[in-house]
Amino acid sequence: MKFLSIAIKDLKEILRDRRGFFFILLFPMLLIVVFGFAFGGSGGNTPHNLAIINYDQGSELNNQSVNFGNNLTQMLENAKYSNSNVYLFNVTQPSESTADQQLKQEKIDAELIIPQNFSQATVSLINNTILETTNPLSTGSSMNSNITSTLIIRGDTGSMNFGTTQGILVGILSQYKDGVVTSTQNSVRGTPGAQPTEYLSSTVEPIAGTANFTTFDFQAPGLIVFAIILLATTIATSLTRETERGTLARLKLSKMRGFDLLFGAMIPWSLVVVAQVVILLIVAKAIGFSWQGGINSILLAIFVGVIGGIASISLAMIIASFAKNDRQAANLGTLIAVPTSFLAGAFFQLPQASIGTFLGQSFQIYDILPWTHTIDALRTILTYGGGWNDISYQVGLSVLLTIILFVIGVAVFSRTRLRAES
Amino acid sequence: MDYIISAQKITKDFDGFKAVDGLSLQVNKGEVFGFLGPNGAGKTTFINIMVGLLKPTSGQILINGEDVQKIDKGLIGICPQELVLWDNLTCKESLTLMGDMYEVPKKLLKQRVDKLLKDLLLTDKADTVVIKLSGGMKRRLNLALALVHEPEIVVLDEPSEGLDPQSKRVLWNYIKSLRDDEGKTVILTTHLMDEADKLSDRVAIIDHGQLIKLDTTENLKKEIGEGDVVEMKLSKPQMNKEVIKSLKSIQQIISVLEVDGLINLRAMDAVGKLPQIMEKVESTGVQISDLNVRQNTLEDVFIELTGSSLRE
Repeated sequence: MKFLSIAIKDLKEILRDRRGFFFILLFPMLLIVVFGFAFGGSGGNTPHNLAIINYDQGSELNNQSVNFGNNLTQMLENAKYSNSNVYLFNVTQPSESTADQQLKQEKIDAELIIPQNFSQATVSLINNTILETTNPLSTGSSMNSNITSTLIIRGDTGSMNFGTTQGILVGILSQYKDGVVTSTQNSVRGTPGAQPTEYLSSTVEPIAGTANFTTFDFQAPGLIVFAIILLATTIATSLTRETERGTLARLKLSKMRGFDLLFGAMIPWSLVVVAQVVILLIVAKAIGFSWQGGINSILLAIFVGVIGGIASISLAMIIASFAKNDRQAANLGTLIAVPTSFLAGAFFQLPQASIGTFLGQSFQIYDILPWTHTIDALRTILTYGGGWNDISYQVGLSVLLTIILFVIGVAVFSRTRLRAES
Repeated sequence: MDYIISAQKITKDFDGFKAVDGLSLQVNKGEVFGFLGPNGAGKTTFINIMVGLLKPTSGQILINGEDVQKIDKGLIGICPQELVLWDNLTCKESLTLMGDMYEVPKKLLKQRVDKLLKDLLLTDKADTVVIKLSGGMKRRLNLALALVHEPEIVVLDEPSEGLDPQSKRVLWNYIKSLRDDEGKTVILTTHLMDEADKLSDRVAIIDHGQLIKLDTTENLKKEIGEGDVVEMKLSKPQMNKEVIKSLKSIQQIISVLEVDGLINLRAMDAVGKLPQIMEKVESTGVQISDLNVRQNTLEDVFIELTGSSLRE
């Protein structure tokens, strides 16, 4: 288990160089704080472009035909920012295919798809609420007809505007549901205004928290990944120092294989990534990042971060193959890591540059970078509160690209640094 | 005698510059073999080829009859000229790491590490990080790292560089014990004549990448440097060349050279020839401001063979 000895050696070197370790964490922390203060304020009161595709076929409630899909659409059209005359959304109602097209062209920020059984589900919710209110013990009895219906909010998770729009939408939809329940309960208990349509009118009014989603919420996961990409510079410097000081030659003369050295180095640096993700998330949260998701989301974020970290280690191997001393490694590392971060979308969303489709998803030119998917996945988890199912495509792609980059890194480093020089 | 290393017509070309030029030699099992040569003579390049770190442009190195690239890596231990250490590891951690890399079993490794620390007077510093060691301690650890896997061949590239006399003594005794007590083959490169003289069984003098002479130190001194050496400092050093010309006319003079601004004359029974020498010098109108008669050393042999001009 020679790789374990190398891993322990590298870990001791990282931790004992306390100043160096501190700087690894300090710079991204500072950056997060600066971005937090600069972009953590109000998102601005501008209407968001929303396409609503209403497939709702309506239902019957108290012998009256109702269409809650139309009701929701109307409510979204009329909704305004709190304490403002500005509408929340510019609502259009194109076909689903047109809306998808408009999303790709960034003409709209998000689309909301209302399913066929939305009214049925809402009626079911109302009926169940009535049942529960009149007889609390009846919950779960076969008398209920539980119909679930899923509203789909579709958009580009790499887009900041989608981030803001979906943030507001999720808030409104949740209040809509709560409002239905509250109004039903009130009407059953004899509160005046017990007409079905009035159940809903009360949900339109207070739309609190519509300004909660800020640019910083979109940026924070990107900054975490920026720190991970920047780690390539530190790792490349450390690998180059090993070459420059001759310790690599010493190891080369022993029975150590290239795998032991590179796999061994991967373990402690992955731990550094774990520390970075956790610390940066705490700092971001402390200065106002609206972190969605619970403790599980941290574990998922760490997992995604470590994959990004392994990609950085692979990049570091390539840099260390060409740098002759640690200063060159630091300069070359920065020269590569900073533009890579921009390309991966760590700071802002890049314009569309599609080069085809992959597994049914549009593939942008910068999608060949594993970190692009790390950022998307982290954003989905931390900003949008998504789970494993929402990021499986991004994680799969990032694992695949990281493996390719790792193989290239090992091959180039072994060829240039681990063989007898000629 | 059995030889352990055989270098066959080794040439190393760096963009048209021949650092090693057709060098062939054999190293015997269990001897201390010294490489002597001025800076830039090709010693380190040759050593790196010999241990398999560098590929030769042509030629082959055989260790126990097998190509160096194919041998068991545990056969050779190298102590490089520079300090090659991990700053943030302790002495014990560094040695244990290298032992692990050579797949030394854990129990045995612990014993070896403790013994090496004791032999090289580092026991007190076993748990001190490298960065906090003195220069001499770092040198000793540098050597210990080459020995932790008990190699059959130990290569020491300029091991005494920058050592104080006490540390040098410890090191020399240890090198001798490697040969005498443990039967190791030791290869030593140095430009310190007394080091080569005191430690080596045989010495190879190389210059411009070529082997100039290979023999025991005794034979070298006898063959090239018989007699005594007279060193003179003249009142007018600019006249050195003219005086040398005049001195060459004395019979039974082995050689006259200018070395570091001094006239270096070698002759049998130099003391008996002193009146004749002084007469010749004064006949050119120059005074002798300092004069020293001593026995021939390996350094004189070295200068005789490699010349006195500065190498960089």
